[in-house]
Amino acid sequence: MKETATYTEAELIAGCVRGDRNAQRQLYERYASLMYPVCVRYLGREDAKDVLQDGFLTVFDKIGTYKGEGSFEGWMRKIFVNACLMRIRKSDALRFTEDIVESPELGGVEEYGVLEQIGSREILDLIAQLPTGLRSAFNLFALEGCSHAEVAKALGMTEQSSRSQVSRARSLLQKKIKELYNGKK
Amino acid sequence: MERNEFDKLLRDRLEGVSLPAPDVWEGISAGLARRHRRVILRRFATGAVAAAAGLAAALLVFRGPQPGRQAEAPVRFAHAVQPVAPQEPSAAPVRDIAPIAEQIAAFTKNQVTAQATAQKAAESAAAGTEKADATVPADAVSPVTDSPADSTTPAEVTSPAGTQPVATPDNPADTREPGQLTQNDLPADFWREDSPDSRTHTSQISILSNLTTVASDDDLIYKAAPMHSSSQTGNRAASAVEPVSGSPKFFSPLSLGLQLTLPLTDRFSVSSGLTYTYLVSQYDMLVDKVRYDGAYNQLHYLGIPVSFSWHFVQTPSFGFYASAGGAVEKCIAQRYVFASNTLREKVGGLQWSARAGLGAEYWFVPRMGLYFDPSLVYYFDNSQPLSIRTQQPLQARFEVGLRFKL
Repeated sequence: MKETATYTEAELIAGCVRGDRNAQRQLYERYASLMYPVCVRYLGREDAKDVLQDGFLTVFDKIGTYKGEGSFEGWMRKIFVNACLMRIRKSDALRFTEDIVESPELGGVEEYGVLEQIGSREILDLIAQLPTGLRSAFNLFALEGCSHAEVAKALGMTEQSSRSQVSRARSLLQKKIKELYNGKK
Repeated sequence: MERNEFDKLLRDRLEGVSLPAPDVWEGISAGLARRHRRVILRRFATGAVAAAAGLAAALLVFRGPQPGRQAEAPVRFAHAVQPVAPQEPSAAPVRDIAPIAEQIAAFTKNQVTAQATAQKAAESAAAGTEKADATVPADAVSPVTDSPADSTTPAEVTSPAGTQPVATPDNPADTREPGQLTQNDLPADFWREDSPDSRTHTSQISILSNLTTVASDDDLIYKAAPMHSSSQTGNRAASAVEPVSGSPKFFSPLSLGLQLTLPLTDRFSVSSGLTYTYLVSQYDMLVDKVRYDGAYNQLHYLGIPVSFSWHFVQTPSFGFYASAGGAVEKCIAQRYVFASNTLREKVGGLQWSARAGLGAEYWFVPRMGLYFDPSLVYYFDNSQPLSIRTQQPLQARFEVGLRFKL
């Protein structure tokens, strides 16, 4: 059996396609720490653990469909994002999300330096603290690069609602970042 | 800072960020094992269905020579006269052979084949005509005797010393013309291509489907579709879905299966096999405390039925029987469809049921027949998801199918 370090990504994928449990284990160990933050961004640390497990099961189930187009990490990320959205839909957290009239920015982060002073994991946790609807829309639009039409379709809302949610989420996040930054000073 | 700039900066900060993940490999490994078992089960079921279909097709296409009456009788007669040869002297008079063959031809209604046989016999007899007292070998007119139980032996037909002597002037009690052959001279089962007992002594395979009574609102309706079933209380353990009281609808169950029947005695047989059942229900439900009206629940069951049958009427073409038994089924998949979402949930436990009923079968060709098996089925409460089985545990079921003798 091949040692972990000597597996290339292609070999790992081929092993997983064959159902090689060792390859699956290595793939999990290599990517779990990269996919976990994606889950945390959408669900918070509490639910992220469950989705991390479900996401890997889906990855192993669908890995045969990966054709090598684009990065494998990006392909995996899409699966985990979808798994997170499924969990959110299942919990129906978006059902009672009301359209929010776009509100003015609650005081932006004027300086680039402010974000530089805050660690990535702290930013992750701040995003995870956002209300579910705002968090989902903001993740998809601002961090995954989806259009408002795509966000609306994914979350079952109107484009106008998507714009409102993203704007509101951005404002809240900026406020939280500022508070954290001020607290550190 | 512009919005786009803020988003971009945020993306850059979070690009490639990693967090120590909780160890969930054990759960993943268990999930993979479960999926593997499911794949094996699916392959087994697919293989079983394919094998059954192939077997059925093979029986239909490659049955070979029909053992039916029309085809089999000439073979017997041909065998009967074949040994007649002028160079083989025997104890029976040769002059009896041609009329016997002619009468046999009349019995079989297969004029062409039998007449040819008679002609051949006559020619054979003519070849030995000069010898007025020539005899036929002891087995010359022997009916096909597959077993010693046959009531007629070659000696009985051809020898005056037999228990059923051929009519001769020496036997005034017998009014038959000399050489006349009656049906009594033939084996008891001569005209049957298969004896009734052999029905129950033959293993059979059945392809079946069921029609099940379906409850809709408060009424029972019958829908023509292969079987599926249901139950009410749901997967009580740790389900995110909770049925809401209302007016559930239960769609016609779909059920297909294969059964193998093995004879135990002349009239007693046991059957078992594999059935697949698909149940669809529609009702209002709470999913994580959120209500969805008219959501669907789909259940897939694999089951193993076992039943015992008592054949109280058995003719070559028809059979009537009573049967009783039970089945154990496992829900292999459950899916809820609400709004545009789907949710899969595992279903634990087994669904047990008991059934009793009457059945009729009709063999329209020697090795293939139709059967109709109405019965009452009772589904025990085994904490299965809401369906017609839980809503209405006692159901009338109408099973129809094809049976093939192996």
